[in-house]
Amino acid sequence: MTPHDELLDSVAAYALGVLPPSEAAGVEAHLQTCAQCQAEYRELRPAVTAVAYSAEACADPTAGAVAASPLLKARIMRRVRAEAASRPSSRRYSPAYALAAACLAIAIITGLMDLSLSRRLNRELAQSAAQTQTIADLTAADSRRYHFSDGMVVMRADRVYLMMHDMHAPPPGHVYQAWTLAHGAKRMAPSMTFAPGNGGVAFVRLPESATNIAAIAVSVEPDGGSLQPTTKPIAVVRI
Amino acid sequence: MDRVRARDADAFEALYDQYHRLVYGVAFRVLSDAAAAEDVTQAVFLRIWSAPELFRDGNFGAWVARIARNRAYDIVRSRNLHPQSELPETLPVEDAVDETVIANMSGERVRLALEQLPPEQREPIELGFFGGVTHDQIARTTGLPLGTIKTRIRTGLRRLRAALQETVTV
Repeated sequence: MTPHDELLDSVAAYALGVLPPSEAAGVEAHLQTCAQCQAEYRELRPAVTAVAYSAEACADPTAGAVAASPLLKARIMRRVRAEAASRPSSRRYSPAYALAAACLAIAIITGLMDLSLSRRLNRELAQSAAQTQTIADLTAADSRRYHFSDGMVVMRADRVYLMMHDMHAPPPGHVYQAWTLAHGAKRMAPSMTFAPGNGGVAFVRLPESATNIAAIAVSVEPDGGSLQPTTKPIAVVRI
Repeated sequence: MDRVRARDADAFEALYDQYHRLVYGVAFRVLSDAAAAEDVTQAVFLRIWSAPELFRDGNFGAWVARIARNRAYDIVRSRNLHPQSELPETLPVEDAVDETVIANMSGERVRLALEQLPPEQREPIELGFFGGVTHDQIARTTGLPLGTIKTRIRTGLRRLRAALQETVTV
């Protein structure tokens, strides 16, 4: 077996996800430059997907297997529909007005933005279904603001927004993830993942209700996020 | 997914109906714990709802299966069993067609194809994917050289792919 055959075997182990991080990083780097290994990876990935799909049979009640409870779906859909109902469709508003107003409001409050950032925020906010609500929340006199060294949390009614500046891009394969601590809870719960824009600024609305948040934290997590923090938080805000 | 990105709850429900068995099945195979598998399923789908931009391109089933496996590993980690490996979650999309073919097969059909593999190839593949262990841990468990384990994984995956292609073309 040649050294490159051994690398092809490592590509298979990488595709299956059984390499430790240090070795996986080496294979990833090699894949960037080796057409033969890229082809092998493309060849094997569908087989790995098949391995995952073999587990679907475990959850097929018609086959007598253990299955997710129907209550699980009800629980998830209750949250999804409640949130969908609380977010008015962006199509009701003029996109041009919403874009300009959203940028203006955020610029006034944060004083952080340069032109390129405002364009990015424009784009991101234009995709949001909550533009007008966002503007109202950020500019309202009754909104609550909690400053920390690299940003600010704004809360109004049950809505909570997180703004951060001077952020570095997360390491490759990683994202920033927000965490919330409910009143009386002992552990942080996972919230959404995000990445800063070109100006090193991030602005997100967290999906959790502001009414029950005692603290918010942000950490760097693997792409896709984590269920528990795997790194030390870079920011913690007590509400 | 475009409708989910536009906050369409009905589209999200359809997505759940189509993929929850896959997500739950992967989590259950990793955790052997129905309640924990439901926790993973809920976390995965609520994450898709809150951050649909995480799915960029390619085959959704292949992607969500990897997310489910990695989130199940988070639970294993929290139980201090320390799995070390993760599946890459950002994927090339060139092979999306092949993965779509697999996604359209029943899980039972894919499971039967997997069971046709010789045990010395199937076991390290299943142990690696669902067992939360790295290839060197498999080597230690089985007492076989690391290189042998990797070769068996590769041979088994190639054989599985070939078997599934035959299933499609027959």
